[in-house]
Amino acid sequence: MRTPIVVLALSVGVVLADSSVVTIALPDILARYHVEISTLAWVLTAFNLALALSALPAAFLARRRPAHVFGLGILVFVAASLVCGFAGSFGVLVAGRAVQGVAGAAVVCAALDLLSQLTETDARAARIWTLAGIVGAALGPAVGGILTQLLGWESIFFVQAPVVLFALVALRGARVVPVPEPAERPHVGANVALLLISGGLVAALFLLVILLINGWRLDPLPAGLAVTIMPVAAIAAARFGKTIEPLWARATSGVILIAGGLAALGWLPHAGAAWTFPPQLAIGAGLGLALSALTERALAGRSAQAVHGGWTIAARHAGVVVGLLLLTPIFTTDLHHSERDVLASGTAAVLDSRIPPLDKIAVARHIAVAVDEAKQEARIPDVSEVVGTHKGSAYADLVSKLQDQLDRAVTQAFSRAFLAAALLSLAALVPILLRRREVSV
Amino acid sequence: MRAIVWAAAASLALIVVYLALGGASYAPARVADPCSPRDWRNPQGLQQTAEQIVLSALDGAACKLHVSREEMVLAFGSRDALRAFARKHHVSTQKLDELVRSGLMRSIDDAEQAGALNPTIGDLMRGFVRRFPVAELVDLLQQLPGF
Repeated sequence: MRTPIVVLALSVGVVLADSSVVTIALPDILARYHVEISTLAWVLTAFNLALALSALPAAFLARRRPAHVFGLGILVFVAASLVCGFAGSFGVLVAGRAVQGVAGAAVVCAALDLLSQLTETDARAARIWTLAGIVGAALGPAVGGILTQLLGWESIFFVQAPVVLFALVALRGARVVPVPEPAERPHVGANVALLLISGGLVAALFLLVILLINGWRLDPLPAGLAVTIMPVAAIAAARFGKTIEPLWARATSGVILIAGGLAALGWLPHAGAAWTFPPQLAIGAGLGLALSALTERALAGRSAQAVHGGWTIAARHAGVVVGLLLLTPIFTTDLHHSERDVLASGTAAVLDSRIPPLDKIAVARHIAVAVDEAKQEARIPDVSEVVGTHKGSAYADLVSKLQDQLDRAVTQAFSRAFLAAALLSLAALVPILLRRREVSV
Repeated sequence: MRAIVWAAAASLALIVVYLALGGASYAPARVADPCSPRDWRNPQGLQQTAEQIVLSALDGAACKLHVSREEMVLAFGSRDALRAFARKHHVSTQKLDELVRSGLMRSIDDAEQAGALNPTIGDLMRGFVRRFPVAELVDLLQQLPGF
């Protein structure tokens, strides 16, 4: 594959990875800026909302001057990334993320037009563009986790800036193409399905990462590595699943796998990263199949690729925003209930333990204080800190029981959000099956 | 079409296995009903006997207030927590005081009858419970090592 094609695909991947790349860094961002948890979500929402709203205008501009729009998009994206990395306040960070979203829309939409010129076939350009987007979106949390642990969360923005800037080499020799005829109507079924699937995938790309790091107390690096299963499965499915015909059958298979994987995450039988691997495999494979089939369908036979690519980007990132808006309240409400349940079950474990009676009173009180403090700092209390430095089998037994109750409560807090996400993804079957004839190519 | 069947089979298998392994019931343990009788463990020493008396008394008071024993224990963590508990359950701190006191008296009787408590110590404990305000007990607990 020629270098310009590779760097264009890379720029699309990096920009779309930005949708989820800061998820693992959220606790560190919270610690740095001391904002409310509900406010913190704007780091994710600002980018996805801006990208969704700008995708279409950017696509129309990119049709006329793809090289200019791409170049300008890259420069603004790099500047916004640096602003995010150096942000002195939370407001500046959110503003930087919104500008990244707008510039990212320009980069992604113009890249599709440039890819069409370089590959000289729309279908091949669409396949490369789609695969780059799938890999980027699925790899985001893993890359973010590794960078956050090794170099700090700001490094996410500092590392992506030069990588994206390098994409300017793709503009060498780019030619101005005449404006084609007016764009056809977008494919409603494929775009609505993309919106619903992306809404459900919020649980896999955002909530799962929060569960691993904040819930089960994994460090960002192992958590990042734990979620690499999804992109690997997505790449494999997108590559080997392209033989599945017709497209609606491939999309349907993908949706079923995504919904099944999300439902399994909602019914985890134990806490622990390994239990998330089979569901991640299903979700990753489903993501690769469904997104490739639906994006191919949305673009197939349409001359104005950038515009229809813009529609798919708008649909996918509007879906992310819808997912965040729908799933966050479910998750936060359940977290509140779980906090109450774990306080009661933890106190019961202390009262029924074999530690000396007077220690029980102190430990029960420490649990209440620790849960309260952890709530203020948006983290899960450390059980060993609560019990203190006492030695002996009775204390070890109590620590183990308290940890088990905590794991159960945290895992349960995410359950309904994962199940709701599974339903949201499954709803994508309606537009796919209703417009089956159109989706068949 | 075969791909759809495979995807559905894989998804269903995953869900069924996770549910069979207890996925639907992986949640914090439910706290015991304070109105149900609990086993009187064989206490060793006065401290453990006193602990069981207090827990039994809390069970009795919690049962009357339709709350869990654990919620009552947490309410005794501080005066603020006690006041918040009283407000939440529309009960005066005086009434709470009475409930805990009568529960303690009954538990001391039970302990004596079970042979876990010497009658002389039982009388001493009854005298202490009669005179000591529960709210003061909260302050006393705060003075204990570890608080």
